[in-house]
Amino acid sequence: MSDEYRFIGKATPRGDALDIVTGRTKFVGDIKQYGMLYGKVLRSPHPHANIRSIDTAKAKRLRGVEAVLTHEDVPNWRGGVPAHLRVLDSKVRFVGDAVALIAARTEEIAAEARELIEVDYEVLPAVYDVVEAMKPDAPRLHAAFPGNVVPPGFPWFGPHTLQEVVIGDVEKGFEEADIVVEGACAYENFPNPLPPEPPGVIAAWEGADALTIWTASQGTFTDRTVLYYILGRKVNVRAHGVAVGGSYGSKNTAWLLIVQAAVLSLASGKPVKLCYTKEEQFAAFTLRLGSRIQARIGMKKDGTVTAISGDWLVNTGYYCAGTQGQVAVGCGEIQLVVRCPNWNLKPKVVCTNRAPSGIVRGYGGQELKCAFLPILTMALEKADLDPVEFFKNNYVKPGDGYYWRDGEWWVSNGVDYTKAIEEGAKAFGWKEKWKGWLKPTAVSGTKRIGVGVGVHGNADVGEDTSEAYVRLDPEGTATLYSSISEHGTGQRSSLCKMVAEVLQLPLERVSMTPPDSLANPYEFGTVGSRGTFAVGSAVIEATEDARRKLLELAAQKLDRPIEDLETADGVIYVRPTPEIRLPWKAVMGFDRTCLGHGRFEPNFTMPNFMMVFAEVEVDVETGQVALLRVGSATDVGQIIDPLNLENQLNGSLGSAGIDSAIFEETILDRATGRVMGGNMIDFKWRTFAELPPMQHVVLETPFPSHRFKAIGVGEITPSPGPAAVIMAISNAVGVRFYDYPITPDKILKALGKVQGRKARGGAA
Amino acid sequence: MKSFKHFNARTVAEAVQILKAFEGHAVLNAGGTDLLGALKDRFLPTYPEAVINIKTISGIDYVEEDAEGLRIGAMATLASIARSTVIKERYSVLAEAAGAVATPQIRNVATLGGNLCQDVRCWYYRYPHHVGGRILCLRKGSGPCQAVTGDNRYHAIIEGKRCFAVCPSDTAIALAALDAHIRITGPAGARSVPILDFFKTLGNVLKPDEMVTEIQIPRPADGNRQRFIKLTLRKPIDFAVVSVASIMMVENGICRGARIALGAIAPTPIRATKAEQEIVGKPIDAQTAAAAADVAVAAAKPLSMNGYKAVQARALVQRAILA
Amino acid sequence: MKTLADIVNTVEVSTITLTVNGRQYELEIGGHPDEVDPAHTLAHTLRETLGLTGTKVGCDGGACGACTVLMDGKPILSCMMLTVEADGKSITTIEGLGDPLNGKLDPIQQAFVDNTAFQCGFCTPGIILTAKALLDENPSPTESEVKEALAGNHCRCISHYHVVEAVMAAARNRR
Ligand SMILES: Cc1cc2nc3c(=O)[nH]c(=O)nc-3n(C[C@H](O)[C@H](O)[C@H](O)COP(=O)(O)OP(=O)(O)OC[C@H]3O[C@@H](n4cnc5c(N)ncnc54)[C@H](O)[C@@H]3O)c2cc1C
Ligand code: SF4
Ligand code: FES
Ligand code: FES
Repeated sequence: MSDEYRFIGKATPRGDALDIVTGRTKFVGDIKQYGMLYGKVLRSPHPHANIRSIDTAKAKRLRGVEAVLTHEDVPNWRGGVPAHLRVLDSKVRFVGDAVALIAARTEEIAAEARELIEVDYEVLPAVYDVVEAMKPDAPRLHAAFPGNVVPPGFPWFGPHTLQEVVIGDVEKGFEEADIVVEGACAYENFPNPLPPEPPGVIAAWEGADALTIWTASQGTFTDRTVLYYILGRKVNVRAHGVAVGGSYGSKNTAWLLIVQAAVLSLASGKPVKLCYTKEEQFAAFTLRLGSRIQARIGMKKDGTVTAISGDWLVNTGYYCAGTQGQVAVGCGEIQLVVRCPNWNLKPKVVCTNRAPSGIVRGYGGQELKCAFLPILTMALEKADLDPVEFFKNNYVKPGDGYYWRDGEWWVSNGVDYTKAIEEGAKAFGWKEKWKGWLKPTAVSGTKRIGVGVGVHGNADVGEDTSEAYVRLDPEGTATLYSSISEHGTGQRSSLCKMVAEVLQLPLERVSMTPPDSLANPYEFGTVGSRGTFAVGSAVIEATEDARRKLLELAAQKLDRPIEDLETADGVIYVRPTPEIRLPWKAVMGFDRTCLGHGRFEPNFTMPNFMMVFAEVEVDVETGQVALLRVGSATDVGQIIDPLNLENQLNGSLGSAGIDSAIFEETILDRATGRVMGGNMIDFKWRTFAELPPMQHVVLETPFPSHRFKAIGVGEITPSPGPAAVIMAISNAVGVRFYDYPITPDKILKALGKVQGRKARGGAA
Repeated sequence: MKSFKHFNARTVAEAVQILKAFEGHAVLNAGGTDLLGALKDRFLPTYPEAVINIKTISGIDYVEEDAEGLRIGAMATLASIARSTVIKERYSVLAEAAGAVATPQIRNVATLGGNLCQDVRCWYYRYPHHVGGRILCLRKGSGPCQAVTGDNRYHAIIEGKRCFAVCPSDTAIALAALDAHIRITGPAGARSVPILDFFKTLGNVLKPDEMVTEIQIPRPADGNRQRFIKLTLRKPIDFAVVSVASIMMVENGICRGARIALGAIAPTPIRATKAEQEIVGKPIDAQTAAAAADVAVAAAKPLSMNGYKAVQARALVQRAILA
Repeated sequence: MKTLADIVNTVEVSTITLTVNGRQYELEIGGHPDEVDPAHTLAHTLRETLGLTGTKVGCDGGACGACTVLMDGKPILSCMMLTVEADGKSITTIEGLGDPLNGKLDPIQQAFVDNTAFQCGFCTPGIILTAKALLDENPSPTESEVKEALAGNHCRCISHYHVVEAVMAAARNRR
């Protein structure tokens, strides 16, 4: 397939590779601005409290301190959806909530000043559980949210944002069913996406209405737009995107961090760098949403699903950054996986006194899938159906429709993934390994082996808008103007590759502007696997536009019809007579550039797809789980760069993905409201020493996306994993689990091995 | 990190003198892999006035063997212990335990003395001060134990009384099985204590002006069998959830002697003496192992969330015996 | 018995010498921005005082390996090492690999480029230095030796698979 192309589909070094391997890549922490101060945040010891008084006098007197701010000092800027959270408030809502902000000449001085601030709190009762939080007498976090339920609606997705899945008549559907199952499942371990680089930003006011930030966001324009509204619709924000040391979605919701730095800069009149520590990242930065579902599923014996109803409770932590958008996409995505005429799935977004939960790779859909699939499989067990067969029959096919995030009905115009599923299952050896529900694949001594499968997909590969310019220079070089940040996907290089392919220019002659909301046209950013299709489309269009302008000039010069002209390697040829050739310079002169423009409009007709197979080994004596092998299957239309794609597929093990089924967990002490073990030792992540073999099956069935017929898949690679692993563990030990992560204590308990010795004490 | 005075000690005597001069307000820094974490997170209510570098003391990082046994300088790094041929040959349980600590980079600087003297890992105790303030508790001399009513999944199931934090040191478990002695030097001179007496529920027997200088291990009888098993949620980096170290003398399938130490289930390393007694004189088979494993954990009184550790400890004892 | 003052005079130092990437630095102990405070970690000194920001700080707590540098050839965590205690040592950071003048890369760096053995790249400097120490000591490691050696380096993007391939390739190319 890739032989068609000169660059597309070939492994080429990433454009930023040299900088990365030599340490020259600059992350936020590596950048200094002249006269820059360092910010620190004083954080709340209480999960819920009113601030009676704060005394900052001593802190302000410390030499080197340039600003100390409390809720009494800051402007009434509010963020969240709907806007409800002040930068600093007279109330704190979780342990780690910001109480005061300090800027000083060094980090050490700022930290010392923090110690000198005295706060008097009126401690309030706290609530951590979604059901508890909705009770009438529960403590209320925000005056605007009665019952702690966040109102639906997400302005980014338009006036009809999807709020639920209500289709057909579920009562009728349940009547038609042979099998009805009902159950509850919780994916409420709040795994941390845990980017290696802690969140950080530099903010500098250039004038009363002009703020410049250096941000590790996945989208400079997202920061720019969000801040425009938060800062009272009058500040012009320039966002410089710097290299992102991992984000996995989480750094897209860093407005609070940015505004904290911004207000310190405003108060001190100097640039302020604010970088959270790793411990702050654990205790006070974006976690996965809590997801709990109580669902009922009706199915015919042959696996035809007739009805799905349920309540989906989403724990968003102490405020809501835009969880309604994740709920919308989650609701869209679930329809891609199960074909069912009758739905009544009702989500609720609930605030609790926990650290913020928000955007993490999988964007609501992973959270819903992880809680929903273990209930769905109860029905599959009753019907004695192979889950791979079931998913094959159910996954959305061209011509099938679904309500998407905008509340509109979209019809798939993508490809049929049946072949990907079949080849993936074959490569994994599913048929040989699958022994039926709750049956181990193999038993040897104390070890039981089991297999499981999960599935996920997203039509957001064509979400939102992108714009790009491409500038051709007489020297035979091209520059792409696009505000895409690099956060690990290699997308900047892939986009340059597309430009190079269209222009037939050597890769090294294509460069790209740094992500900067001033210098570049609008760009939503690399989220939701949209880089390949959405961004790619704008870039291709801009390149083709620039190319056409160049060829138009050449056509005049050569007096030939434009259709006869070709360009490669910075030279223009006449097709029938290639000896007639002009270098770009001869066409453009030295004082001209050709500028092309491209724009992409949202298109939700091409759901992507990911299936994950997992094989685990459980030691029934110790309860320990080892992930033995992972397989995956997808179809991307056309691989742009095989190494970048493989990296993204392997990424399923990271970023609060597969391992959130077995050991990733943010542990909350309910007596104090504190995160326990919020550090890199106690919070578990996969190491080099425990790498399971990975096998990816990637098909290339052309998509009607753009000239390279490709779509992206990076965002969703972790999402099917946790449900696959929970299924594998259940099959290995013969017991079902409905509560992630499946740690050794839960396994031993399920196997009846932990005797009910009279316990002393106990966590609430 | 907040600043402190810093000294490079050139001799043990000098280190002890500085400790004494600061009257409990100075700390020794060996590899620093535990100490620096404590200073950064400021989880203790006090902060040292002075830090004394003991890497500058020459000649206390030796590994020496004679007919009686092994002597290891407190400053020997865990990497050197894990790699030492002598230790791998005759004290393999220690080599394995040292090699199971943390990560390669840490083992390159972390010392045996530091490993034994490191502070506990209870997550209430270690809660970082800058994220809402440190948590006070009984071990810090203020208020009740938080773990007993809280999330105690990693806490002690045996011999916990007022504090349920477990001994975090991997090498201590191996040294308990090896019957090691710890040599301590203070202003008044030196003394040696058996490893099990070195540890106390709320710390160790060191006075503020004393330091560990040497670890002494009697030479185990020839033909013994040693084993170290450490259970963690993932490998490496993690502290043990449960660990076992064992030395067994087996002749013609009959156990002639056994020393089994259990880690991470009690505030100190403990010996499973009842289990040892259970197997001595008996053939080593599944039945003996099961019986010994049962008595090893019979005294367990788990807290609300850590009953599983008794099950795991039982399995480890069984495996150590049968291995 | 000596007084504290006697001891202080003999064992409190006022300057230290660090050799970083072959260049010698004399650093004063003190509280000014270009001086070294006793509480400064080596990571801090490298990044903030010497401007060598290739060394990353991820956890600042010994658990992620992002700050790995070579000290006398061995990989250590610069966030867990006091600068004053690195006196007299020779340090290699990522900036010390390859030759910036002619753009030549260390074979490990080249293998990382060829295999796209990174995603976000934040973990990369620490991983490359750990790998370099391994190959210097063991020029022909097995895959599992590579994994063991790198077990203290956190990579959340999961670039591990390509890293292992790159290190194996570098080992072949160095031979
Ligand atoms: C990521 C990470 C993972 C870890 N994993 C493990 C693990 O799996 N198993 C494990 O056992 N440990 C683990 N540790 C803890 C610790 O790093 C090691 O125990 C290490 O061996 C400590 O040695 P050190 O020389 O660095 O001690 P230091 O940090 O220098 O000292 C620790 C304490 O002991 C005191 N001290 C040091 N030497 C002496 C002496 N000679 N006499 C008296 N007091 C002394 C110091 O004052 C300090 O209070 C881990 C640490 C980290 C950061
Ligand atoms: S177990 Fe010990 S250290 Fe932990 S909270 Fe209780 S008393 Fe404190
Ligand atoms: S920054 Fe040093 S180990 Fe993480
Ligand atoms: S490449 Fe991002 S953490 Fe390793």
